Amino acid sequence: MIDSIFLVDDEDLFHLVFEDACSLLNISLSLDAVYSTDEAESMFAEWQQKPSDKPKCAFIDLNVIGSSYDGIELIRKVNKQYGNGIVIGIISSSVDPNEIERAKGAGAMFWIVKSDDIEPRLEQFHEDFEDYVDGIKSFTVYQ
Amino acid sequence: MIQFPNQVESDLIELSKSKSVYLEGNILKLVNTSSDEFQQYLDTSVTKDTDNRKKRLEVTRQFQDQNKELLAKQQENDELMKSLQEALIQAEKAKDDALNDLSVMQKKTQYELIGNIVQIALYVIVGVGIVVTGMYVYSMSTNSTETTLIGNTWSNLFGILLTNSFSIIGTIMGVKYADDQKSKSSK
Repeated sequence: MIDSIFLVDDEDLFHLVFEDACSLLNISLSLDAVYSTDEAESMFAEWQQKPSDKPKCAFIDLNVIGSSYDGIELIRKVNKQYGNGIVIGIISSSVDPNEIERAKGAGAMFWIVKSDDIEPRLEQFHEDFEDYVDGIKSFTVYQ
Repeated sequence: MIQFPNQVESDLIELSKSKSVYLEGNILKLVNTSSDEFQQYLDTSVTKDTDNRKKRLEVTRQFQDQNKELLAKQQENDELMKSLQEALIQAEKAKDDALNDLSVMQKKTQYELIGNIVQIALYVIVGVGIVVTGMYVYSMSTNSTETTLIGNTWSNLFGILLTNSFSIIGTIMGVKYADDQKSKSSK
């Protein structure tokens, strides 16, 4: 089980769906969620000072409405400025190959397609999680 | 994993019996026990929590779907409103063009009418002038006794015709000026 998960998504209903899905699938014990990449960046800055609070995994929405920049840019910032060290990837309804390549280039480790029946993809990701932590799993698109 | 003291386990079991209140949330995944009774309590709590989460997930998804539908309808309405506004702008432009065409046609008709009046008036003036001048020339060439009378008549008539000519021209100029002023003020 993943101890703590961090979700960045502008849609509050998805926060509830994601939390319940993760709990029902026994994927995680706790979930922190924010609504913008700006908020997320400030949290990563805090975690840089206090690494023990850092989540084990971060799911970032691609287009976070009301943010200064998109999810891929956040991943780039997190990897470059805040010394990531967590499993981080995109969760989006988009399957645009250009965006997927962009995310890969920014250092995203996975891409999960967000849709109504997200549970099978979350389960599959959960199975692969330890491989991501060990760095032996290459970039994967779950769709 | 954590284990509650026996007293806490008994209190929680008692609470569930008396008030139907159970532990819920992810803490249930971290609690362990050696008591069969408390294990049963934990199993019931997990079942209740799972049922509640499933219900909440279902309701949230329904809300999500409704939200998506509303957003799609909102977008549809916005596009419809945009099309309507564009159609309204085009209709107003067509109306302005039609009014402009009508105004031009009215002016054209007015000018044509004025032109006809002027033409006829000029024909009458010139015709009368030619006839009277012819009569005067004829009377002079035949040494008619009526020459003086016709001469006076000719000079009076010519004066009147000239006066009328200027009067007509003045009227036409006045009408044209008033019309120009009217079109300027309407703009």
